Amino acid sequence: MAIFHTPKEAFSALRPICVKITKEQNVINVQCLQSQLQKVGDAALQELQEYVLFPLRFSLRTPGLKQERFVQSVVECIHFIISRTCVQNQQQLCEIFSEVSLCLSSPGNHGKLAIISEELKMAVVQGLIALLHSAYGDILLCLYQPHMLPTQGFVISLLLDIAEHEKSRQLRVLALKCLLLLILQCDCPDTHCSFDSSDLLQVGDAFASFLPGIALGMSRIISGDIKQGHLVTIYAIKVWYKLVGLVMANDQVSKNHHDKKMLFVEDSKLADLVICRKPEWVKDTANKLDVLLQKLCSCATGNPHWKVRLELVELVYHLLSYCNKSLKQSIGHLLEILVGLVGDERPEVHTRCGQVLRNVSELCMICENKDFTDVLSENLHTLTTALPRLMRTLDDQSKLKSLGLLLGYLKLLGPKVNVILNSTVHLGRLSKALMQILELDVTDVRIVEERRLNSEADDLQHPMSFLSGWDHLRLGNKPTMKRKYFKHFTEECVFALLQQTCRVLGYYGNLYLLVDHFIHLYQESVLYRKQAAIVINEVLLGAAGLDVDVLHERETPVSVDDLKATVTSIIEEYISRANWDLVTSIESEHEAGLNTNQPKFLGFTKGSHSGCLHTSQSLTVHTMNSNIWQICIQLEGIGYFAQMLNKEFRQLLMTSLYPVIEKVGAETLLISQTATRTLTDLCQACGYDSLQKLINLNSDYLVNTISLNLRRLTQYPHTPRVISVMFSYSDASLLPLVDDVVQDVLLSLDHYHNEKAHLIFNVLHSLMTALAHWFPPKEPAQKEERPHNKACNSATKAEEIQCFFKDYQKQKRLAEGDVEDIDLDQTEYEISDHLEPDITFDHPDVKKELPAHIQIAKDVMEKCIHLLSDKSIKLRLKVLDVLELCVVVLQSNVNELLPMVHRVWSPFVQRLTNDDPLVVLRAFQVLCRLADTCGDFLKSRVSKNILPKVIGYLVSQAPVSAKAGPIYSHTLVYKLQLAELQGLGKLCEKLDLGETDLDMVANTCLPYLSSRQPPKLQDAACSVFYHLNEVDPDATWLILNEVYCPSTYDLPHFSLPPIHLTGMGKQRNEFTDNVLQLLQEFE
Amino acid sequence: MLEERGVWVWGDAEGARNFCGNSMAIPPPDPKFVLRGTGASVNTLHFCCSDQEDWNPILFSGSANGQIHIWNLKTHRADKVLESHNKQSVLWIHTLQGRNGLISQGRDAAVSTWDLSEGRTAVIDSIPLDSYGFCQCSLMQEGVGHYLLASPGSTSSEVKILDLPKKTPVWVLKPPADAKLGMPMCLKLWQPPSGSRPLLLVGYENGSLTLWDLSEKKMLSHLACHNEPIMCLDFDPERAKGISGSSEKLLSSWGLDNQQNLKLQNTLTLVNAGIADTCIRQDKKILATAGWDHRIRIFGWKKLKPLAVLQYHIASVHCVTFSDHVVPSERLMAAGSKDQRISLWSVYNKP
Repeated sequence: MAIFHTPKEAFSALRPICVKITKEQNVINVQCLQSQLQKVGDAALQELQEYVLFPLRFSLRTPGLKQERFVQSVVECIHFIISRTCVQNQQQLCEIFSEVSLCLSSPGNHGKLAIISEELKMAVVQGLIALLHSAYGDILLCLYQPHMLPTQGFVISLLLDIAEHEKSRQLRVLALKCLLLLILQCDCPDTHCSFDSSDLLQVGDAFASFLPGIALGMSRIISGDIKQGHLVTIYAIKVWYKLVGLVMANDQVSKNHHDKKMLFVEDSKLADLVICRKPEWVKDTANKLDVLLQKLCSCATGNPHWKVRLELVELVYHLLSYCNKSLKQSIGHLLEILVGLVGDERPEVHTRCGQVLRNVSELCMICENKDFTDVLSENLHTLTTALPRLMRTLDDQSKLKSLGLLLGYLKLLGPKVNVILNSTVHLGRLSKALMQILELDVTDVRIVEERRLNSEADDLQHPMSFLSGWDHLRLGNKPTMKRKYFKHFTEECVFALLQQTCRVLGYYGNLYLLVDHFIHLYQESVLYRKQAAIVINEVLLGAAGLDVDVLHERETPVSVDDLKATVTSIIEEYISRANWDLVTSIESEHEAGLNTNQPKFLGFTKGSHSGCLHTSQSLTVHTMNSNIWQICIQLEGIGYFAQMLNKEFRQLLMTSLYPVIEKVGAETLLISQTATRTLTDLCQACGYDSLQKLINLNSDYLVNTISLNLRRLTQYPHTPRVISVMFSYSDASLLPLVDDVVQDVLLSLDHYHNEKAHLIFNVLHSLMTALAHWFPPKEPAQKEERPHNKACNSATKAEEIQCFFKDYQKQKRLAEGDVEDIDLDQTEYEISDHLEPDITFDHPDVKKELPAHIQIAKDVMEKCIHLLSDKSIKLRLKVLDVLELCVVVLQSNVNELLPMVHRVWSPFVQRLTNDDPLVVLRAFQVLCRLADTCGDFLKSRVSKNILPKVIGYLVSQAPVSAKAGPIYSHTLVYKLQLAELQGLGKLCEKLDLGETDLDMVANTCLPYLSSRQPPKLQDAACSVFYHLNEVDPDATWLILNEVYCPSTYDLPHFSLPPIHLTGMGKQRNEFTDNVLQLLQEFE
Repeated sequence: MLEERGVWVWGDAEGARNFCGNSMAIPPPDPKFVLRGTGASVNTLHFCCSDQEDWNPILFSGSANGQIHIWNLKTHRADKVLESHNKQSVLWIHTLQGRNGLISQGRDAAVSTWDLSEGRTAVIDSIPLDSYGFCQCSLMQEGVGHYLLASPGSTSSEVKILDLPKKTPVWVLKPPADAKLGMPMCLKLWQPPSGSRPLLLVGYENGSLTLWDLSEKKMLSHLACHNEPIMCLDFDPERAKGISGSSEKLLSSWGLDNQQNLKLQNTLTLVNAGIADTCIRQDKKILATAGWDHRIRIFGWKKLKPLAVLQYHIASVHCVTFSDHVVPSERLMAAGSKDQRISLWSVYNKP
């Protein structure tokens, strides 16, 4: 297709059709023109623009009803022309503007939208957009001159109408875009002419008149049905804030140049239309806008489409950056939106929100905008005042919002937060609000009830596995912190928000001021203590810059020395006795007597005052729960502090390690867990590889406190716990220091002979448990002998007999005194070899120095001797426990053990024979342990002093237990029976008792093989026979067969007499099952 | 005596009131900290806390196995351990020029000087002594880097004054042969505030005390104040008054009149015999004694009023000393004992 490049050619080509249109106005002609125009080059068209437009404009201007179809094609054609050329004439621009827009209005009612097709409306709006785009340079500004105001108003109202009421989304968006274009804020990619501020001022002045209408209209759209689509809403928001941002911009409103303008329009009647943006007007408008803004924002924040919310962020940003003075009263609200949207689920929204927040806060800092700070602090104050109420009444989601707001304000204030903190009223409000919100829920009884699993009772059963409770720790796992339950909220994220709030406070705020204030609250009342401690912990964490999320860096971080000084004083406060040794369980009630300033004690006296015992009781549970939490929070704090100071914290270990370890050993599960966490924190922070290292390298600090506390055991009843925890984590390298403490312990035993012996024995118990763990007894030599003896047993029958006879012969010869020379020589040689070094090294008066642990065990055992016959059952039991452990430790050193056993024997026999069943039971267990090592040494003593008594008891109890019902197994008598039966067999074997004794034992146990006995007793009796079988299989076999013999024996040779056993041919009886089982096992 | 009534007394420095009214008595305090790990009984202690403000305060301890520990009083741990005197017991230690130097006396009859500056731990010099006894030396600074050292001499009753660092004997003080004083047991070299001539106090085995004018090599005064050997003495030049303890139950204080005559002023009988060491605090308000009965006793210095009996050690206490902290509230008292521990106390520190 040929293109006309020169105007001349084009003119000749276009002229006929233009003339035709003027004469005959119809669609075909217009379309013909448009198709002709396509052949004209841009430059040529620009030349002929006015000429070509003329017939089209003429046809629009001619009065009379026109075909819609025709109007549309005309508008489209104009659109086509204008979009390819630019309008250079002001008047032309104004005229076309009004002519095109007129197409929309109904001919009858001049300001109302005509009932026309969507296509036409679309064409017109697009035409307007094209027109505005094609205006050349600043001629566009002529549209904003006062005389154009009516036209503008007319167009705007039409566009608003379309934007609001049309069905087609596309059309509505177009209308909104057109509006944007009108306020010179088009967002299309084309380049636009940029205007200076005075030009913008003119636009602003013009639109001041339309502000109410547009703002209202947009608000309606925004708050309209969500079904309208997000694009419409987004554009509506955009129009709203661009317009407001233009009209209410700080620099436009503040300038004092309105009078001049007024003069200009004074004479014309247009003066009514022109609005002068005087301060009063600004204030009034701002108030109205504030109302709209709130409505609009509440709709938009809830919009499900994230792009809408994103646009809202832009709105806030735009208004905050341009209108923060004129729209002063809305700043709070705007920030609220911003802060609220920080927590948005869409990453796009919350990252943008974060950026905006950062920019805004910089804005507020750089500009030194006093208003801004004032507004923020005022808002903060109102918020903190309302916060307690909000916390009580709102649901969690709304609480989250208000707290988010609080955090946002603090973050925005940044370093200026000190201005607020310096005001007593503000700080008071803020802290009271925090105190109320952070109030813990202390009603959970489980917290009080849950105990650490391996309390002492377990240790007794498994002296070797006493570490089991802390095993998880040795593996390096940190127990997770149990979440706290709060009175006023349940969601974890609310707490996280509060933590952040405190940290931000600490990050920016004056540390000393904050800590002083909250420590004061901490001391002021028990009610605030836990919350204040939480706040202090978090504030310090923030001050150290740990886990804190802020908008901009502070200028001067808190120095390590300052932190250290603060931490030192806080820890001192935390671990002071009034705040640390709190009653956490009913068992530890004796502690209450020591501290009269205990909350619990107070509660109790109050309760009795009011004469209502019940309330005081329930109060106590709550108080205990509260105490537990307080300790946990303080422990947590110590962990935090360590993390802050890292290796610098090592110096503070001197004071803080002991209290933490004391709590690791606490009975209450929660405390113990928290303390272990803290301990791992300390370990990591101070740069130790393991807990063992931590404790080993700081054991001097621990030992110092332990030794001092042992002197006042009544005041520090938890010292044994510390010792046992210390031992459990540590190893034998601790022994030299331990030795020192043990001397203290033993000495203190002499001091507190009666009252506190029990406590001291707890210490000794943990000490001996540790020693037994560190120096596990080597398996005694007996083990090696066994296989040798067994050799005979395992061999085949013929060899067995041969072996037996050889052995028998040898024994007999020896018994007759026929000792072989070689044997004798050997023994003699050995003896001399053994003795000589002894003679040379052991001076008669200088005793050989024993290994420390042996010496300790001996010393402890010495104390046991004296206290075995103490009045208190509890103590006697404890002493027996310790005694058993001493025996375990001394096992490896029989030379020391035997003399001690000799000394202990007489009081010990008393425990076994003339004591409470409970003690007898325990003593019997110790006896079994003794039998392990002392074997022969005890043989005659046991058979003389103990066996008769035990057997007598078992014989007398056998008929009782045979008849007893199911509850019997819960009685102490039963337990004693069981223990004795279980131990007896082993005892016989270990001590290698004589035939008569064995016979006695077997006969005593036979009744217990009866199926009428409780099953456990039967099993135990069976075990006795197993052991007896080891010692003397033949006799045992015989005894069993006399009770019941399952088989008959055929004689291998007739010359032998027939065998007759009493049990042969007996009817099946109560013993049958067990005897059969035993015999089977023996074969 | 108070202890015989079985009452612990604990009051404030001036607080004789508390001492009188038993109802006011509060239990004696525990040690502030106990240093462990000397490995042998502790014979002598010396503080060094005020030489440099930002340095850690330190405490030197000498023990029976020849080790000298340098304790950091911030961390309460031994920074360094010096092996000295061929593992023989260390009798006495003193700093030279702040903490940069140390002088130690051992049972190997030698005095060693140490260079401790810049982390060094080297013996600079070793001066043999003539006596193998238990008598501790006494040191007095004459000028910068210039000291006088009083040490027991070769023959009995003789005292030798050496010049440091030249190591030359300046004077030998020999009491008249007929005096029968026995061995010197303790020495105190001091400079009276008025005169420039240094004076020396010597406590002897027979329980008598002598005052010597060094420059004239003359015994100025003689006082028989104890019946048993004098174990320790300390002197307060301001009040011209001193205190001495012996192996008996007696504690004596004596004064010096204008004619330089020693006069017995006051005696106090204790419950248990044997005072190993005594020390008057720098502020001259209180006095501490180290007892063979494992106890440390505190007395008011002015009237020798018993103030407190501190019981912590489980063996006899060998030495007691006060720290030279600048700030009075930080002041410490340290006691070393045969039980191998050093106890640190904070007593009567409140103004």
